[in-house]
Amino acid sequence: MALLEIRELTKRFLGVTAVDRVDLAIERGELVSLIGPNGSGKTTLFNCVTGYLDADGGRVLFDGRDVTNAPPHRMARLGIGRTFQQVSVFPRLSVLDNLLVFVQQHQEEDLLARLVRTRRQQHFEAEAVARARGLLELVGLADRAATAAGALSYGQRKLLAFAAALMPDPELLLLDEPAAAVNPTMINQMKAHILAAHRQGKTVLLVEHNMDVVMDISRRIIVLDGGRKIAEGPPDVIRRDPRVVEAYFGR
Amino acid sequence: MRRAAGWALAVVVVSAPWLVAVAVPRQQRYVLHVLIFTALFAALALSYDLVVGHVGSLSLAHPAFFGIGAYAAAILATRAGWPFLADVLGAVLVAAVVAAVVGVPLFRLTEHAFAVGTLGLALVAWIVANNWVEVTRGPLCVTGIPKPVLGVGSGPALTVTTLPGYYWLALSALAAVVLLYRRLTTFRLGRAFHAVRDNEPLAGAAGINPLKYRLLAFTIAGALAGGVGALYVHYLSVMCPEEMTIGLTVNLLVIVFLGGVGSLRGVLLGAVLFTALPEALRLAPTWRLVIYGLLLLLVVVRSPEGLESLLRRAGARRAAV
Repeated sequence: MALLEIRELTKRFLGVTAVDRVDLAIERGELVSLIGPNGSGKTTLFNCVTGYLDADGGRVLFDGRDVTNAPPHRMARLGIGRTFQQVSVFPRLSVLDNLLVFVQQHQEEDLLARLVRTRRQQHFEAEAVARARGLLELVGLADRAATAAGALSYGQRKLLAFAAALMPDPELLLLDEPAAAVNPTMINQMKAHILAAHRQGKTVLLVEHNMDVVMDISRRIIVLDGGRKIAEGPPDVIRRDPRVVEAYFGR
Repeated sequence: MRRAAGWALAVVVVSAPWLVAVAVPRQQRYVLHVLIFTALFAALALSYDLVVGHVGSLSLAHPAFFGIGAYAAAILATRAGWPFLADVLGAVLVAAVVAAVVGVPLFRLTEHAFAVGTLGLALVAWIVANNWVEVTRGPLCVTGIPKPVLGVGSGPALTVTTLPGYYWLALSALAAVVLLYRRLTTFRLGRAFHAVRDNEPLAGAAGINPLKYRLLAFTIAGALAGGVGALYVHYLSVMCPEEMTIGLTVNLLVIVFLGGVGSLRGVLLGAVLFTALPEALRLAPTWRLVIYGLLLLLVVVRSPEGLESLLRRAGARRAAV
């Protein structure tokens, strides 16, 4: 059974069909890229899958369960982590707190326990802090832990957002253009981080414009154009596919 | 050093009635009255800041919850003859339930519409207080609200009759609100509130249900405002519709935004400055509003984060030297 399965997903905006009956399935442990020219519906598809937009048709199944149009917080708790195309952090929270926000909801919910700060709560907190520090170490932000996230550079915020998505240890990671608008060194770092997460067992679906990154790290590529899936296959095949060449390099 | 200063401040605050008796014996009653108002206003402003400062929703409905709690306590005490602690608890619960119920549709509104919706709620509550004469006695006010009697059941009880007694009662209430405020705005809960305030879509991706946390803050704030309202009427012994006009929102906005939104120290500072100081300077009410307006302008231009940020910056400078 596929970890994520999308069946005939459709999203329309005022008559424009942004996503048009797209089918796709991602198996556990895969690293798949979703590519396509600007406006081809990649981010819309992401937003439908993660509950930020309600689909107009079709189904989304996660781990066999129908989760079509479930709200974002529910998708997150089911084990889907995502990043956003626009760098997204909590600007007034410290770098460390940015990560800690991402884990608390998966643990004890009881309001009274949280107010009293039971021993169990404190234990969770200590565990979360240790995990967060480990992730900051990994992305090279350990020395900025106490800084407000809003004071980080663009690239650093991107790394922080990536680390935050990893914080709750999600099964599926949806990354929306992690390598966009960062310098070449940072792109290589990001590539290494994505591959490392994948090696540790994360299933990854990547939306990316940078072809070098996509061709380099994915085993399978799905191409969207005008809201439709026009091709799917390994990098070598996709590179030579005439429909893909046309969609990217003019018609 | 800071710890010592904190303890000294606590001692001064707790022993204020005696200090006042020694320092200004002729105006003792007046000064204590101002201090009681300051403590109650500080508690009210902190509850307001939970919504405005910590989940970032500009609610203008606070007078409604204050008034609902005040009327609930007044009516339960005078008509139903409930004992003090029971009617305060009743006021807290009624205000909490109203906040939770109106909060659900209100939080479906986006930022500005939410502010307007809450403004509408405050106006409706005030109009109801004025016109539902059978219950609230309208402009005739609920009168004869008894003095607080601290005690449960038939055990020993303490009637609060003196001004110092009221002062310590208000101070205890403030201390309880401060404690709750700190518990709510730090650690896990505080982080969830702040996440919703700073970036709602990202909070969703973190598994936080933004509506749930907004509603939680709104309900707790409403409950606390109701409790302050109850203490307020037991102090004044009368409750009138004018106590819950939009003017109260203006005062709260001035206290919270001039003091330092989202900051315990800032809000307390704001409450002291804008309750006690105008009284101390004997400002006429008309001039007070003009001065508030000018001050608000000045602070918003010079220090948008409020006076608290000035203190923080001064502290940082001292540390740097």
